[in-house]
Amino acid sequence: MENGGYVGDSSPANKKAIAELRGVSKSFGDVLAASDLNLSISAGEFLSFLGPSGCGKTTALRMLAGFETPTEGEVLLDGEVVNTLDAHHRPVNMVFQQYALFPHMTVAQNIGYGLRQRRPRLPKAQIAEKVTKALEIVRLSDFEDRKIWEMSGGQQQRVALARAIINEPKLLLLDEPMAALDRKLRKEMQIELQDLQRQLGITFVLVTHDQEEALSMSDRICIMREGRIVQIGSPQELYDRPNSRYVAGFVGTSNFFSGNVTDQNGGLATILLDNGMSVQGTPGVELAEGQDVCISVRPEQMKLHRQSDGVKVEVHNRIFLGEHTEYLVNHETLGDFLVLSPRQSELNEGGFEVGDQARVSWDASAALILNPN
Amino acid sequence: MTHRTRNWLLLAPAGTWFLVMLIIPLSVVFIFSFGERAPSGGVVPAFTFEQYANLPARWTAFKNTMTLAPIGTLLALLIAYPLAYFLAVKANPKWKTILLVLVIVPFWTSILIRSYAWIFLLGGRGIPALLEWVGLEGIRLINTPFAVLVGIIYGYLPLMVFPIYVSLDKLDKRLLEASSDLGAKPWRTFLQITLPLSIPGIATGCMLVFILLMGEYLIPALLGGGKVFFVGNALVDLFLQSRNWAYGSAVAVALVAVMLITVTFYMRLISRLGASREDVSIM
Repeated sequence: MENGGYVGDSSPANKKAIAELRGVSKSFGDVLAASDLNLSISAGEFLSFLGPSGCGKTTALRMLAGFETPTEGEVLLDGEVVNTLDAHHRPVNMVFQQYALFPHMTVAQNIGYGLRQRRPRLPKAQIAEKVTKALEIVRLSDFEDRKIWEMSGGQQQRVALARAIINEPKLLLLDEPMAALDRKLRKEMQIELQDLQRQLGITFVLVTHDQEEALSMSDRICIMREGRIVQIGSPQELYDRPNSRYVAGFVGTSNFFSGNVTDQNGGLATILLDNGMSVQGTPGVELAEGQDVCISVRPEQMKLHRQSDGVKVEVHNRIFLGEHTEYLVNHETLGDFLVLSPRQSELNEGGFEVGDQARVSWDASAALILNPN
Repeated sequence: MTHRTRNWLLLAPAGTWFLVMLIIPLSVVFIFSFGERAPSGGVVPAFTFEQYANLPARWTAFKNTMTLAPIGTLLALLIAYPLAYFLAVKANPKWKTILLVLVIVPFWTSILIRSYAWIFLLGGRGIPALLEWVGLEGIRLINTPFAVLVGIIYGYLPLMVFPIYVSLDKLDKRLLEASSDLGAKPWRTFLQITLPLSIPGIATGCMLVFILLMGEYLIPALLGGGKVFFVGNALVDLFLQSRNWAYGSAVAVALVAVMLITVTFYMRLISRLGASREDVSIM
C-alpha cells in the first residue's frame, strides 16, 4: 500500500460491529469514487469520515444509507450483507447536508414522517407522543406547528436531527450537517450533537471536511483521500502518529522537511535533508535506505531559543495567542516554518521580536519520518 | 424620472393593450347584450333582458362546453403527468432537451393542418376502416364527442406537460431520498412528497388548458362536424351567419360569467389544497 501499510485498526477491539465495509469500491462510469474501503463501525461510537471534497467520504456514507450500491465488496449492517437492500428497508437514518426537510409539512409532521411509514401502522397517539419527546430532545417544544420556512438554519438542523433519531436507527448518518451554519452556531451544535450521542447511545457516522469538527467530536476518524482510506484512528492517534504527510497536514498543522534515508539504527533513522543537513528522526512508517521521505515536526514540539544548538533562523512574524506565541521563522535553506512557544518559557527566557536571530531545535522523537505524499 | 413615472411607463404598453383589446370590446359586448336585433342584422340599442331569457335555446352548446372542457382537461392531466414525470425524473439528462423539444414539435405545424390530419385518421377511411378490416364494423369516430376529445387532448397536451414538468424538475431530489431514508416505499414517496409538491404545476396546467378549452372553436368545428359544438361555435354562428349580434353578445357574456364562476371556484379549491397540504401528505 502506498502509505507504508499502516492504516490503523479498521475495527476497535472487543466491540460489536454494527456496520462494516469489506473491500468496498464504487465507480461512477470511469470515475472511481471509493476504492477498497475496509472499516468496521462499532455500536455506540462516533466515527467521522474526514477529507477534502471529492475524496469519497460522501459516497461511503451513501453506500451505508442505501442510496448507492457498491461496485465491489460488501456493506454489512448488524452482520448482514445489505448491498442491494433499498434505503427504505435499512434501519439507518440520515441528516442531509441542506436538511432536506419536507417544505409542505409542519415541523411535527416532518418529525413524525418516519413513524408514519411503519407497517403495521403505529397508533396516532403513540406517534404524537414520540414526536413530542423528540421535540423536547432537540429543544424545539413549542415549534411543532411551525412551517419549515419559518425556522432558522439552526432550528431546521434540529428538526432534521429529530426526524432521524425518532426512528431509533442503528446508525445515524450525518452528511456535513454543520456546513450551512455560522461559526458560533456550529460550535454549539457540535457540543449538542456529542451530548445527544451519549444520551441516546446511537452510533453516529459523520462526514465532514472540517478537521476541527472531526477532532472535537469523534471517537475515531477515518481520513480519506482520492477514494481511499488513508488512516483510521482516534483523534490523538492521528495527531501523534500520522502515517503520511497528508494526514499530518490534515490533522493539525505541521512543518515538513523532505530528504532521504541514509541510515537506520535502533529506533531512530538518519535523514539527509534536501539542503544537505543531516538530522535524526523517529520512523513513523517502515523505511528502506535511500527512500524519499518527509520529516514532520509539530510547531509545539519545536523550541525557539538563544543557545548554540539547533538551526539558525530569523524571526519573520510573531503572533501572540495568549498561552502560546506563534513564530514564523525563516531558515536560509529550509525555508519558512512555524514554532509555537509556550507562554511560560517566554516568561522564563524572554521572547523574540521580528528580525531577531534565534535557534530552533527539536528532539529526534518529535521528528516523525513519513512518506512524502 | 421618478420611480412612479417609470413604473407607469413600464405598465403603459400592457395597460393600453388590456384596455383597447379587452376592456372596451367586453364593455361593448356587455352593452349589446341588452339590445335588440336590427332587421338588417347588427344591433339596435335598447334595454331588454329578452336575449338573456332566450339563452336556454343554446343549452346544448353550454352543456357540451361544460362537460367536454373539464373531461378533456382531466384526461390531458392523466396523460401529461406520467410523461412530465418521466421527462423530469427518469429521463437521461443527455436526452432531456431533445425529448422536451419533441413535446413541442407538433406546435410547429398549424393546429388547422393537424386537425385535418385527425379528420382523415378518424374519418371513414382512417381508423374505422382499419377496425372494419379486423372485423369491427360500423364504428363511427368522426363527428363524435370522442373525436373532439382526441383533438383537444392532442392539441393541448404540451400546455399541460410543461407546467407539471417544471414543478417536478425543480423538486429537490434529496427530498425523495429523505423520504426513502425514513422508510417510505417508492409509491408512498410519490403520494406523500412528489405529488403534493407538484400541485402548483398541476394547478397551472389545468387552469391553462381549461380556460382555453372553454373558448375552443376550431377543434369542435372540424372534428365535431356541427354535431358536437361548443359555445365558441355557437358564437361564430350567431355573429357571422345569423347576424344576431344582440343574442350573440348575451351568449358571450354568459360564457364569460360561467368561466369566471368556475375559475373562482377552482382557485378557492387550489388554495385550500395548498393550505391544508398536510392532509394530502398523510394519505
